[in-house]
Amino acid sequence: MKAPALTPARLRFAAGCHALLLPSVLLLLVFVYLPVTWAFVKSLYEFEVGSPARFVGLANYGEYLFSDPPTWPSVLTMFLLTAVGVAVRLTFPLVVAKLIHSLPFERTRYVYRLIFLIPIVVPGVAVQLLWARMIYADYGLINEFLRTIGLADWAHAWLNDPETALLALMCFGFPFAGGFEVLIYYAGLSAIPESVNEAAALEGCTGISKFLRIDVPLVLSQLKLILVLTVIGGLQGFEGILVLTQGGPGFETMVPGLWMYYNAFSFQRMGYACAIGVLLFVAILGLTLLNLRYFRSAEEVQGGSS
Amino acid sequence: MVVLGAAVVLFWPERPVPAAPTADASAAADGHKFVLRMAAPQSYLPGSLPQGVGQPLQGLARVVADFEARFPDTRVEIIAVPIEREFLVTQLSGGAAPDIVCVNVEDVWVDVQKHWYVPLDRYLEQPNPFVVAKGDPRAPGTRQWWDMFAYQAITRGKAAPDGRNYCISLDMVETGIFYNKTLFAAHGLRPPETWSEFLVLLQRAKELGLTPLLTNVDCLADWGADLVFDQFYRELLPGIDVKKDDPVRAAYLQGYLDPEELAFLQRQGFFTRRDPRYVEVWRKLGELRPYLTKDINNQDFVREFVTQQAAMIWNGSWFVYRLHADKQLGFDWGVFYLPPMFPADSPYASGLPMCVIGGVGNQLEVTNSALSDTDPALPFAERMARSERLQRVVALLQFICLPENTDRIVNEFEAFVPNIVGVPARPQLDPFVEILKRRYTTTKWTYSFDLRFTDILKRTLHLYLTGAITLDEFMRWQEGNIATASGNFVQRMNFDFAPLQQEWDRMAPVRAGFRDLPTPPPAR
Repeated sequence: MKAPALTPARLRFAAGCHALLLPSVLLLLVFVYLPVTWAFVKSLYEFEVGSPARFVGLANYGEYLFSDPPTWPSVLTMFLLTAVGVAVRLTFPLVVAKLIHSLPFERTRYVYRLIFLIPIVVPGVAVQLLWARMIYADYGLINEFLRTIGLADWAHAWLNDPETALLALMCFGFPFAGGFEVLIYYAGLSAIPESVNEAAALEGCTGISKFLRIDVPLVLSQLKLILVLTVIGGLQGFEGILVLTQGGPGFETMVPGLWMYYNAFSFQRMGYACAIGVLLFVAILGLTLLNLRYFRSAEEVQGGSS
Repeated sequence: MVVLGAAVVLFWPERPVPAAPTADASAAADGHKFVLRMAAPQSYLPGSLPQGVGQPLQGLARVVADFEARFPDTRVEIIAVPIEREFLVTQLSGGAAPDIVCVNVEDVWVDVQKHWYVPLDRYLEQPNPFVVAKGDPRAPGTRQWWDMFAYQAITRGKAAPDGRNYCISLDMVETGIFYNKTLFAAHGLRPPETWSEFLVLLQRAKELGLTPLLTNVDCLADWGADLVFDQFYRELLPGIDVKKDDPVRAAYLQGYLDPEELAFLQRQGFFTRRDPRYVEVWRKLGELRPYLTKDINNQDFVREFVTQQAAMIWNGSWFVYRLHADKQLGFDWGVFYLPPMFPADSPYASGLPMCVIGGVGNQLEVTNSALSDTDPALPFAERMARSERLQRVVALLQFICLPENTDRIVNEFEAFVPNIVGVPARPQLDPFVEILKRRYTTTKWTYSFDLRFTDILKRTLHLYLTGAITLDEFMRWQEGNIATASGNFVQRMNFDFAPLQQEWDRMAPVRAGFRDLPTPPPAR
């Protein structure tokens, strides 16, 4: 397609757009790109708050990758938790959204949407503390239930036992029907043209078959969004683990993000923490690019099949 | 690019633009020249219920009110702040910390070279003006503020590696094993005299269906490790204590192994898998494993003890108040100290009584905020000399140290042993007063190096005590942990081992009489 001619009016319009974008770009530069660049620079130094920095080159990276014992177990834990997170967020909420979407009356659908939306407004830390102190605690729901039914020996320090801590962390949030994901999938399902649904019905494609063959391919854009967000959250997030287990017992639930936090703010090894942060950034960027490259959206699916 | 450049300057961490001294805005607002902020220890915090029982505390508030009456140009805000290091580091680096904070002074030591804390020696070596004002020339404090402290050596022993004192403490603390006396009597149990008896006692309690001993991994990594370590290394000190303390410090510390000594000994093969005593320390602690609770990360065991589901709890002297104030407690209780180990318990045991691992309790430090009325560009010593605000902050500490004031604060409830001459301890604390008469520990591992060392120690000890890793795996972790921590320590302090090496060589004949010493690592 031939580019439109650059008339003075178009140039003025473009200049106006640039002028309006500039403040946002500058703020992004200062508050996003600069800290990232800064973190990379500081990762080449050994320094702590209040002390002079000492240039150490790539030593922080070498130490993290090759000699810090928690590194590889924590990376494995991070990928494991991310994989579980991806699995549950791509399935449970989608099924819930489909069930709500299949209800015959809009009023009922509205009520269910509301029910799944309300938990979003509860702060995450509050939910994590609830799980730690009411569900997993020694006198929490699970242990008290086990004691009630005569299985007191099965009672556990769920978050503090090396054998159960990681599993307990994976089960956090059960039944995994997060309101945000449900709403996103619901919006995707609602966007499927009625003509497609009718054609499927005429072809006799209904029930689970329609869900797998028609609905899922047509909400791939939403699945892709949730996938990217979950992967990013899984790689960089650690606040839930900090609240629930502090990465313990031992290093059983440690993830690189949390180890970065401890090194920065507890051990005051800022340069080292920056190195971990830079490596995480590279990993997230790489996985996101892979995802964009190989995970096709609904539009691409439709485009490819047409 | 201009914004980028400006932001670089803004974020530059090494050379923060020094803030000019500013008038105390809040002070000006309410007419006071000084508004001092004191982060009160939880156990002094006015209005709080100590351990959730009894009456709200008022002692410190009353003492501070008297101070304000004496200095009408001064207002003191008593505040509660988080004790997390993350909070303190950010506040101190920004010069926004309270003027007085309460943290374990070993956590202060790692930051003293940053001038975040004010050394108090020059004031401690001067008379306490409030004592002088009373006119009794024999009263402790007339000659030196130092003289007011009852536990002299412990208090002075808290000097930082740079030789200066950054804290004062009004009270002492010690740990003990609290036991259910009623339950012991009913089942014919008695406090143990030896480690072996202790294990038998734990087994008996277990057979009774009780949790034998309530403690957690933090206590075991700190108190437990130091006590057992002392049992095995105390007798080696004449051959391995390569740094001699000043006489005052040595009078109580008696060969205490400082971090640089630990780092030096580590280079001689100590505290590795080749050091059988060090392996034995953790093996002996591992013997407690069957008698602990399932959740050894639990921070609150009180419920199980007061509801008589557990026979014993290892706790600090502060627990006395919790038990004493509980009107519904259905049993008598007592306290014993961890019993010594004899050669029958371990080939390296000395049979000496277990040492003191407590010492100073609430430790009060003066921060750089007390110098906020001076120009940060000036040398630190000059800022100290010029600061009026610092004088007033120190005056507050000196006033608090008067016996009648310390009595009101520390003895408001029975948790700590007063550290000011002339202030009696509450009778319920007598067992701890007795324990504090013992010799001090050989070293304090969790306070020796850095927080990373302590964090890894606790994490791996947790795994070892829950059976998730073997003793050998734990030792592997610990060996690397000590090597890294001691290396960081030496680098941070730019430490020269030559004098220690000379002393080490001189002591060689003494060590010739010791058995099973570790072999030095092969030269690289």
